[in-house]
Amino acid sequence: MTVEYVDAGEAINQGELSGKTAGGEIAPPVVENLTYERLLDARSEPHNWMTYYGAYDGQRFSPLDQINTENVKRIGPAWIFQAGTSGIIAGTSTYSFEAAPIIVDGIMFLSGWDGWVWALDAKTGVEIWRYKHAIPFDVSLCCGNVNRGVAVAKGKVFFVTANAHLLALDATSGQRVWDRTYGDVRAGESATVAPLVVKNMVIVGSSGGEFGVRGHLDAFDIDTGEHIWRCYMVPKPGEPGSETWPADGEAWARGGGNCWLTGTFDPETNLLYVGTGNPAPDFDGEVREGDNLYTDSIVAVDADAGQIRWHYQCTPHDVWDYDSIAECILFESDGRKLLGHFDKNGYFFVLDRTDGSLVQITPFVDRIDWGNITRDGKVTRSRYPEKEGEPVHFYPGPAGSKEWTHAAYSPRTGLFYVPVQDVGATATRRRREFKESIPYWGAGVQVDIEDMRGSISAFDANGEEKWRWRNELPMCASVLATAGDLVFAGEPSGEFNALDARTGELLWQFQCGSGHHSSPTTYMVDGRQYIAVPVGWGGWAEGFLPGMLGAGHGSALIVFALPEQ
Amino acid sequence: MTSTASERSDLLSKLGLDVQNKAALGKVLGTGNIGQAKESSDGRMSATIRINPDELCFDPQILVMPHGGDIELELINDDLNTHCALLPSNGDRKFIWLVNHSRGRATLNLDGPGYYWYSSPTGNDEGRGLTGVIVVLGDVPPEARLDRPNQPRP
Repeated sequence: MTVEYVDAGEAINQGELSGKTAGGEIAPPVVENLTYERLLDARSEPHNWMTYYGAYDGQRFSPLDQINTENVKRIGPAWIFQAGTSGIIAGTSTYSFEAAPIIVDGIMFLSGWDGWVWALDAKTGVEIWRYKHAIPFDVSLCCGNVNRGVAVAKGKVFFVTANAHLLALDATSGQRVWDRTYGDVRAGESATVAPLVVKNMVIVGSSGGEFGVRGHLDAFDIDTGEHIWRCYMVPKPGEPGSETWPADGEAWARGGGNCWLTGTFDPETNLLYVGTGNPAPDFDGEVREGDNLYTDSIVAVDADAGQIRWHYQCTPHDVWDYDSIAECILFESDGRKLLGHFDKNGYFFVLDRTDGSLVQITPFVDRIDWGNITRDGKVTRSRYPEKEGEPVHFYPGPAGSKEWTHAAYSPRTGLFYVPVQDVGATATRRRREFKESIPYWGAGVQVDIEDMRGSISAFDANGEEKWRWRNELPMCASVLATAGDLVFAGEPSGEFNALDARTGELLWQFQCGSGHHSSPTTYMVDGRQYIAVPVGWGGWAEGFLPGMLGAGHGSALIVFALPEQ
Repeated sequence: MTSTASERSDLLSKLGLDVQNKAALGKVLGTGNIGQAKESSDGRMSATIRINPDELCFDPQILVMPHGGDIELELINDDLNTHCALLPSNGDRKFIWLVNHSRGRATLNLDGPGYYWYSSPTGNDEGRGLTGVIVVLGDVPPEARLDRPNQPRP
């Protein structure tokens, strides 16, 4: 006798099984009227953190001062959001919480790893909606399953996925509005960047520099998703800069130069300031003789035309993996429009941002022996993987004296606060044939697991070090500066610290239970200031701190505030 | 000593890697059947995935889609125990409870190319063998490809 099957029905969204209250899955339309004009004047809304860096200038500075040097010792956790992870995901062992939370009028927009985006009540931490993009398990990821954040404007939330899609979600419901593919996963491309909204465009860069791709920056229309422009960071033969690549062969086609971090923007110059990644192969320079423009460069891109207006190359012909992707912090000094940039190669560059001319260069870490850069910008290299099979040790290692995590600048103190990693590495050149989607390093690399240290160091615009808060371990997380004259900085061992911005004195500390590798932000709701920090160790730990590869992952967003009474 | 491709099936069987509680405790991942989704003339893709009695394995364990897009799955639990399925899909993962002798449906939207895991996240169904794969064939759209000459692949 045939027994009829029980009808199991239709599979439902897993989010429906997350304890939400009916009707609670719609966020208020806080992003509906978030226009370019408001983003231009982001600091006039200190209760909000509306772009990746908080404002177009990349300073990671908040005018909020409710939490200050006098009372910071009283702050404690207000709420915790536990993201968790389940099942088998890409980078199962390397996922990491690397985002900068965005907050608009009491609603937080947060991305995780593996295609997660959440809208949370910024006062209570209650999840309002979630979006989960399906990420292929086999996508090429050099440095873990990570995502650095979202952008918001005109009713939408924008984010990229590890398989190189750019999505626009409805900010009230989390529903997909449009979806564009802007990278080729078969070529080893991926995406990790937090988008930047400029005018009516959303700007994103590509990842994949360890797989021999050709890096690019793209602009899409925020309303329609229409592709507006693409700017390659390695020129084709015959284009300006192509003379810095071998005339024969296809080294340029695999040349790297990815824009895998968010740029900054000056509306007066109409320029995007974008850092570019390493050339490929990372450590075998012999197959790509020349300076290899525009890799390892600060590149000024016309926001409307999508064309390079000027560049400054921090490490010509890089053979140490010294991406220059780090933030370009825009500031003014003595009436000049400048930008500050702490490079992986250990030097702090200050440029005139109108034309890219050099203002000053200063080392910001103790140990640099890959070569040196003179005050006038002349680069001499001394230790590098030159001969096949011969190990070469150098400082800093490939994660750099500062990794991608960000420095901050306080206009109140006139100081830059930089997380410093003082770690070396050994690279042994091993030539390999290029094959699409296969890692293309050209070396075996081992980062030191002993004799390392770190700091939060404060520099003025002249490159003079004003104070240093020392740590036994490298500092691998972004710094946040506030008008409370505080500098917040997380440690790899889990401590979240508040330092006095004028002296570097440690004023407060909280053990978060997992290492920090993200970008804390701050905001205010109903008159109460909050400090939000995603916590979750992972990512490219073998690159920046292999001595802590065995540390617990974690996957929590922890939000701090003063007591309500 | 490793096996050749032709010897693989025999060796899996001989060692008992592809059944429950013989070699290992469960059925080792990747030892199940392979199947292909059907594509109708209007481009709609569909497939049936079963859980057979006492195998603790999805059949097919590896389902291949010809390209990215929407696929309609029929999920049938012929086992004498209760299982479930948590499946990848753009927007949110799809969950369905599958009691003994039940049949349900799931509509998934997946990008291509690449492959995705899914499983029965109850008890340790995943470790015993109820972990499957959906493979999506194809290439990214032409506009998403790099402007460069064709490059060698492995």
